[in-house]
Amino acid sequence: MSGAVKDVGERLIAFLPNLRRFAISLCGSRDIADDLVQAACERALASAERFEPGTRFDAWMFRILRNLWIDQVRKRKTMGVQDDISERQDIAGAHGEREAEARLTLNTVAEAIADLPNEQREVLLLVCVEELSYREAADVLGVPIGTVMSRLARARKNLAEAAGITATTTRSQVMKDVKE
Amino acid sequence: MTKTDFSDEILMRYADGELDADTSAALERAMELDDELVSRVALFIETRAAAQTTMKPLLDEPLPAELSAAVEKMVKEKTQGASEASVLPFPPRAANNRRANRWLAPIAASLVVVVAGIGGYWLRGGGEAVLDGGLHVAGISGSALDDALATVATGEERQLPDSNQRFRAIATFRDNAQALCREFEVDSADRSTVVSVACRTGAEWRVTFAVVAPGVSGGYAPASSTETLDAYLMAIDAGPPLEAAEEAQVLSHLRESTPR
Repeated sequence: MSGAVKDVGERLIAFLPNLRRFAISLCGSRDIADDLVQAACERALASAERFEPGTRFDAWMFRILRNLWIDQVRKRKTMGVQDDISERQDIAGAHGEREAEARLTLNTVAEAIADLPNEQREVLLLVCVEELSYREAADVLGVPIGTVMSRLARARKNLAEAAGITATTTRSQVMKDVKE
Repeated sequence: MTKTDFSDEILMRYADGELDADTSAALERAMELDDELVSRVALFIETRAAAQTTMKPLLDEPLPAELSAAVEKMVKEKTQGASEASVLPFPPRAANNRRANRWLAPIAASLVVVVAGIGGYWLRGGGEAVLDGGLHVAGISGSALDDALATVATGEERQLPDSNQRFRAIATFRDNAQALCREFEVDSADRSTVVSVACRTGAEWRVTFAVVAPGVSGGYAPASSTETLDAYLMAIDAGPPLEAAEEAQVLSHLRESTPR
């Protein structure tokens, strides 16, 4: 038992930056996210024996944190928080030292991500950013793998549209050159 | 093969490396002849890359010092608690030395159920639970009690805000599941005293034991009512009371780690 707690504890500390990033993008506010991360760590330590060695620790932690967040939202009914623009910019904010042009592009993508419906944003974060497999993401979210795929496809269509991501010309040009 | 043969989902799975080898090969062959198909696949590759690039700075951000400190402390305490538990599988039972009567255990077992039911209502319920003698137990607001449990040191008393009740901390100990528990008494205006135990479950206090003792003027519940408490403490395998310094440390950590 102490082994499980120790193991989870060590991984937990190393994993804090990722956990916090996921929390910030879930709730759109650093303050709420930090409380959430702390609560998730407490929960993880308390149920350390339930973590199955050999399974992905990150997926397990994301699930714990997300469940806590859903509980909180249910309890406080603060869904509205996420639509608050000042809160939302928290995701993109706090790296003003970057050169202006780059920031412009990145912020557009960040805003587009923040604007996604919750169910699309969380699946995008788990698969594209945290690099979970579809199966692992389905386990975290407690939905069928087909739902993961349809939400993820919609998330990326919306993101591409909102942020003006068009790889079309360059990509097809490259392929054409190769072909000819 | 035409482009309509490949759904967005298949293209996305290809971009994410989740497509089986045969379909992937077929898709790659089709892409050689179909620019639009290529750009559809590229969309999924580009959005993945864009999301990663955008979220990267959040990962590089330094962690708030309070957050890492709180988690490190939590981990440390938890691992220490666990190793102590494995070294001493049968911690000495004695939250205080008043009790040793083993024959009380069966009584205690039945009591736990009754009092835990009342207690659960007490802390969270906003209404008033009227126990016999007209004692208004629920008159104590949850937050006032929470606050008192997290701040008042053993042996000290405090007037609960917005009430005529006095809170007195008797002892702090851990139960058999290593949960932090506090034994305390609350004196009411009508001179009756509630003898209670609250234990920490998750982020909140839960009153697991409460018994009303007939009042005596100087505070402090009479010995007869504490026999019931003793039996209860024995039933939950209460550990020895924490020393003042240890208690202060645990309570201060509790206050720091409790959001708001």
